[in-house]
Amino acid sequence: MNTRKLIALLLLLPALPACRKDKPEPREEQPAAATDHGVYIINEGNFNWGNAAVSWYNKATGQAVEDLYAPANGTPLGDVLQSMTLHNGNGYLVVNNSGKVVVVDPDNFRAVATITGFTSPRYLLPVGNNKAYVSEMQGNKVRVVDLASNSMIGDITCRGWTEEMALAAGKVFITNESRKYVYVVDPGTDAVADSIAVSSGGNSIVEDANGKLWVACKGGGGTPPALCRINPATLQKEATFNFPGSSASPWRLAVSGDGNTLYFLNGGVFRMGIADNALPALPFIAEQGRNFYGLGTDPQEGTVYVADAIDYTQRGRVFRYTAEGAPMDDFLAGRIPGGFVFR
Amino acid sequence: MRCVAVGLKRNTWGGALRLPNLLSCLLLCMGGATFAQQVADTLHLGAVEVAKPRLAAFSAGTKVQRVDSATLARYANADLGTLLANETPVFVKSYGLGGLATTSFRGGSANHTAILWNGINIGSPMNGQSDLSLIPMGVADAVSIQYGGGTALWGSGALGGSIHLENKPHFGQGLQVAGGVAMGSFGENRQQLHGECSTERSATTIGLYNSAAANNFRFTTGQHREQRMPNATFRQYGVLLGQQLRVGKADRVGIHYWGQLANREVPPTLQQELSTAFQVDASHRVMADWHHAGATWGTVVRAALLDERLDWYGSADSTAATSRAQTLVAEAELRLRPAGPHLVDMGVNGTFAEASGAGYPKGVRQGRQALFALYRYHPAKGGFTGSASVRQEWQDGRSVPITGSIGLEYRMRPWAVLKAQGAKLYRLPAFNDLYWQPGGNPGLLPEDGSSSDLGVALQHRWKRWDLRTEITWFNRTVQNWIIWLPGPAWWSPGNIMQVWSRGVETDSRIVWKQGRSTWLLGAITNYVVSTNQVAKSRYDEGVDKQLIYVPMYSGNARIGWQRERCSVTLSGTFTGYRYTSTDNRDFLPPYWLLNARASVRVLENSRWHADAFVQGSNMLGAEYQVVMDRPMPLQSILAGVGMRYSRPNKTKLATP
Repeated sequence: MNTRKLIALLLLLPALPACRKDKPEPREEQPAAATDHGVYIINEGNFNWGNAAVSWYNKATGQAVEDLYAPANGTPLGDVLQSMTLHNGNGYLVVNNSGKVVVVDPDNFRAVATITGFTSPRYLLPVGNNKAYVSEMQGNKVRVVDLASNSMIGDITCRGWTEEMALAAGKVFITNESRKYVYVVDPGTDAVADSIAVSSGGNSIVEDANGKLWVACKGGGGTPPALCRINPATLQKEATFNFPGSSASPWRLAVSGDGNTLYFLNGGVFRMGIADNALPALPFIAEQGRNFYGLGTDPQEGTVYVADAIDYTQRGRVFRYTAEGAPMDDFLAGRIPGGFVFR
Repeated sequence: MRCVAVGLKRNTWGGALRLPNLLSCLLLCMGGATFAQQVADTLHLGAVEVAKPRLAAFSAGTKVQRVDSATLARYANADLGTLLANETPVFVKSYGLGGLATTSFRGGSANHTAILWNGINIGSPMNGQSDLSLIPMGVADAVSIQYGGGTALWGSGALGGSIHLENKPHFGQGLQVAGGVAMGSFGENRQQLHGECSTERSATTIGLYNSAAANNFRFTTGQHREQRMPNATFRQYGVLLGQQLRVGKADRVGIHYWGQLANREVPPTLQQELSTAFQVDASHRVMADWHHAGATWGTVVRAALLDERLDWYGSADSTAATSRAQTLVAEAELRLRPAGPHLVDMGVNGTFAEASGAGYPKGVRQGRQALFALYRYHPAKGGFTGSASVRQEWQDGRSVPITGSIGLEYRMRPWAVLKAQGAKLYRLPAFNDLYWQPGGNPGLLPEDGSSSDLGVALQHRWKRWDLRTEITWFNRTVQNWIIWLPGPAWWSPGNIMQVWSRGVETDSRIVWKQGRSTWLLGAITNYVVSTNQVAKSRYDEGVDKQLIYVPMYSGNARIGWQRERCSVTLSGTFTGYRYTSTDNRDFLPPYWLLNARASVRVLENSRWHADAFVQGSNMLGAEYQVVMDRPMPLQSILAGVGMRYSRPNKTKLATP
């Protein structure tokens, strides 16, 4: 081969690999309606990427819609969707890093109002017909919101990162990610009435069939990871189940529809009866190379929904299991699915 | 015609006819023309082999882009990120004017580019990367970009490429003072002053710069409202001091200081209601060096102390989250030039870094030692140059896999040079990867891999025409690629990905003189496929998909005209799809930017000259985002004046 041919060959090199197409497939997003038998999937989205979304899974057809909000409103929902609460015929979407709560019609998902003024809201708990509390990651406050005017009407000073809340025995119980207490607030006075020592990293709280509250704590600051049971009437901690070692990290505590079985994530999905005397040793659903990020139990059918965030930078996948733990099927949701709301 | 056929065939495979393909095809046609004259030898930079910088002496076979002085002058008011984005194939992930700007070099990540200031790697030991918007172009009077793996030459991190900023000595030039002021859209204003006083023995430099902008450009929000960008002000100022002395005929010693303070507000994303965050970056960098260049041997000893601090404030009344790192670097090289075509360099490097801050446990520190040996073979005849390098590094006493490279350069014809290089690569995890609390993983392994380059550089001078083109094909694999993923309790890094990057770069330029005018036509095209080859988790749909924020196609083209005291440059850059999900389903659309600049010499005499300029960016008002939900400005203008005063010594000696 003479030099000129060699050079000509080299000059052709750019053509060799250039057969990859970079244009993505167009996405068809039509507004979809949510029916009475389905599941909203809360897709957190990436921090600062503004790609939070709410997926909808139709239990009757087995079909999933990636996002209800953007097609219905022509604009994305916001940055980091932490939670969704259904109340009085409205859906309340708490969008953490957008500092807002978006009120939607749960059927067509059109936004009807936006409540602003938050620093980094996490969860919304209705505490009366037209009143709700919103926990905050920063600012040492729980916000009081009027649901009639959709505006913030007050603050409750509560130190640290407040997280999930529950209303029981006429009191509001507020978990705290950065402190080792569950704070008790009187919704009549909107003031902290008491605190109950648990472990640090309290993140989720549910009420069981006996009216007792269970709190999942990740531990930290010298306290172990733990599940704690609280009597909301006496404001006493009745039982503590400490996890061996500090690497455990129980969270996403959920309860079955009958209130007799607890589920939580700790890597895999774990299941525990409310009368059990010890923590489960083995997972109910093993993680098996997945990154479990969200957990929910269907209150009617007992089906367990567990979300795999995969690498947190693509659509997550939701796996469905029967109440006995047998795999059923799976479907794709949005980015970083973290929670489920059943209707 | 042959190349046209290839282009059409490729388009049949690839779908729609695209501009990058057309550009490639055009270049192929250019390449098919007969180049029959002499090419300037990019290797033979000077006779004194012993005094050559490491980059010039031992990088045979790699593509090195030296930014010429006219281009540097055009970017005197800009930062390194802007220069790279407009003048090179390097993709710059920019959060906006003054905001964080990082590189993706040939499909690599931000910490796969080594940035060296006078031979010292100034990348942060905390996150392993450099913010290009914190490097104003005024801090260097020479900038070179080396493409491809260079960890054997430059140490950990130079996987994708390396950028070399230098303050060159200018002995015997007398008094030189240069200054400039510029003002532009959105409250942008910049001032710089650079003075140099030199005799044949001594050169003293002082530089001052200041830049600020309200940066309150108009943009359309996610709710389709138009508003001005809030909380986006930045101010940056700094000082450069330098003293170089020539001792005897063969020795030179120098000391440089570069101090800088930047205060930047962090604007909200399109999805944030507001942002009150701001950050303060302060750095002090001192380095000293001694160069000895004898007839058969030479030595370079350099030492540097780098201190950087980052204070992050959530709001004006919150306390700062502070991270601080100090790095001490000492390096010595011995260069031997025995008889014949051989050049040998042996060196030792010691780097000690420590960091403090709320995110680190107390006393985080790291010691690294490296031995390296470099060799060049360059016979006087035959047009052949080969270089080889090997490097062994130890981190806190543990050895890192040995790395090395081999490069070959062969002048096949007076107008054609063939280049080839192969290298083994590595990158040590940064402090954040290892020690951040919570999540840091002290058990991380270094990233390692290998790369190969093949290229051809052609140059043809004919009458008033100067044509040159360089085409480079590259291939790189990196194992143990570190990414952060959420764990059960917090995010934590792991040696998770295996990334295969490959592609083609072209860089072409035509200069011709027509009467009193000089015209320039240039084009850079870039095709990068950079894919993760292993599943990060069981149901990962991202295998063999393009990495996020790595455009597969990008390029730029420029046309310039110069006549006596006037010059006009028009340049366009194209950035193709960038995916924002690892399954390549979500993306940011491609964008074109058109920039223009005109300058005129308004004063010129034996001592003084002054130029006035006006430049427009994004002249067509493209709405685009480089980073998702971070809108960028529409049209903007910057205008200013640059002046230079020169009073040469009565007896002037040539710079060695």
